[in-house]
Amino acid sequence: MTGHDFPDALKQLLDEFSRSGIRELHIRKPDFELYLSTDASAARPQAATPVAAPASVPIAQPAAPSRPIVAPPAPISSLPDDAVIIKAPNLGTFYRAPKPGAANYVEVGSTVQAGDELCLIEVMKLFTAVRAGASGTVHAVLVEDGAMVEGGQPLFALVRD
Amino acid sequence: MPINRLFVANRGEIALRIVRAAQALNIETVVAVSDADRDSAAARVADRSIVLGPAAAAKSYLDPRLIVHAARESGCDGLHPGYGFLSERAILPRLCAQHGIAFVGPEPDVIDALGDKLRARAMAGAAGVPLVPGSECVASAADARREGDRIGYPVLLKASAGGGGRGMVIAHNGDEAEAGFHKASAEAVAAFGDGTLFMERFVPEARHVEVQLMGDGRGNVLHFGERDCSVQRRYQKLIEEAPCAAMPDHLRRQLHESAVALAASVHYRNAGTAEFLFDVQRQEFYFIEVNARIQVEHPVSEAITGFDLVQEQIRIAGGAGLSVSQQDVEISGHAIECRINAEDAARDFLPSPGRITRWEPPQGQGIRLDSHMSAGAMIPPFYDSMVGKLIVHGRDRADAIARLADAIDNFVVEGVPTTLPLHRAIIAHPDFIENRIHTRWLEQTLLPGYGKKAA
Repeated sequence: MTGHDFPDALKQLLDEFSRSGIRELHIRKPDFELYLSTDASAARPQAATPVAAPASVPIAQPAAPSRPIVAPPAPISSLPDDAVIIKAPNLGTFYRAPKPGAANYVEVGSTVQAGDELCLIEVMKLFTAVRAGASGTVHAVLVEDGAMVEGGQPLFALVRD
Repeated sequence: MPINRLFVANRGEIALRIVRAAQALNIETVVAVSDADRDSAAARVADRSIVLGPAAAAKSYLDPRLIVHAARESGCDGLHPGYGFLSERAILPRLCAQHGIAFVGPEPDVIDALGDKLRARAMAGAAGVPLVPGSECVASAADARREGDRIGYPVLLKASAGGGGRGMVIAHNGDEAEAGFHKASAEAVAAFGDGTLFMERFVPEARHVEVQLMGDGRGNVLHFGERDCSVQRRYQKLIEEAPCAAMPDHLRRQLHESAVALAASVHYRNAGTAEFLFDVQRQEFYFIEVNARIQVEHPVSEAITGFDLVQEQIRIAGGAGLSVSQQDVEISGHAIECRINAEDAARDFLPSPGRITRWEPPQGQGIRLDSHMSAGAMIPPFYDSMVGKLIVHGRDRADAIARLADAIDNFVVEGVPTTLPLHRAIIAHPDFIENRIHTRWLEQTLLPGYGKKAA
């Protein structure tokens, strides 16, 4: 796993892991460590300093070895220190638009006011609007449209103005 | 021709209910499932199951072409739509007809006509059914004020294409009627793509009563008594009873006659329900709408009549006439159903999918449980939150309430929160016991205090 081919290999590993039914996977090499668990409350291995395990996502995110633990996790790109993370209030399907075919509520780079709607989470026909907790700019959308998310899962990163 | 192999185009408890009814009639069953329901109770009990597609309902249970294709390819000559999903979409019976499959339900044109509230209202009026004083189409805010003044306040502005409470606004005077027109019209456009509105007198304390009907499609229609579904939250029924103990016999007879006359006037075929508002103060009832399908709460009517409505549905779809006459339908005792939803009352009824870890339902005389759940069963997050219906049948209403209290006390469910504790609180409330409830009672009277006690 060199820096170059790393994302593809990791993605493949994650896919295999989610399909396999394996509950826990821990790989440790001199310059690399990865811990995957399907148990949101699982204790992270002590030595896994550079690994940020998301609160309730079965995907651990490797980070640059020199950086401290980031919680909640940054996706592929790193997040600014003062990023505001918007989390899912409950388990459900993540929708970026108010209805099929409509424009997304926000895109990366959109300016939002505190209280603006960012997305919908639908569970069992109940739609909950998720609102921005602060004013700022959408820095990252952390979940794909239509994906199932768990309660507490990070959805958006905002950067305050 | 009688149906030989029935396709079940639904999921959950009603899919299981339909499979069992078909089995009792020696009819083979094929259950359609989404990816998430491969291991469902109905799929296990049926002769065969077919995976329609992914979990998302739009790509499985809500795709009429996919469903009829699967029914035809699996050699089915009948299709039962259950309730919800496509059950009241005329395209499903139309596609069935194109492929020689008997649809267990009304004619598509009747479904279309009844699904449009203004047309349904006109049909009811023509059949002599009492209507809540109201208007035709309201075209402007000025119209809304004029009609409101004529009908008498409070009035309700409603979307013609509406349902589920969306596009509905209450107005207490002319100014509110004008403002309400703009709001309701905008909501109706957003929700249904059709801003057509009409107005009705608003009855602040109404009961919801409905008549179970069964027609042969040739103008013969039977009723199986009425149900009282006044315990509601956000227009969703939580508890249903049969009969409506609050209604005097002379009104009850008029109610049944009205419902039968309406269904007979359109040569209604198969099971349907005529819904009414019962204004207890005025001692009047008004037509609301017809639901052209079997309903969730049909078991309370089965309990008091001893008649299997789903089996009758399948027989009629296979070309048979009504198997009983009206004088054979005898009402006995009182039945109550509660809908058990996987919802967390402490979190504003947040639907709570997950795995059932313990499921030990009560047993005994007069207890019926319609459910697809068992210990270890998974409640997927993609569909509605109902996990079962607990139905009790007693000598009279008081006896039924006592049995239901015992049944709930002996019902063990673990793994997900359910509405069972709420049901227990409702049936212990003096207003429920003395039958002083109305459709907004739960939200106005019981729930505000219930939330605080739960916290």
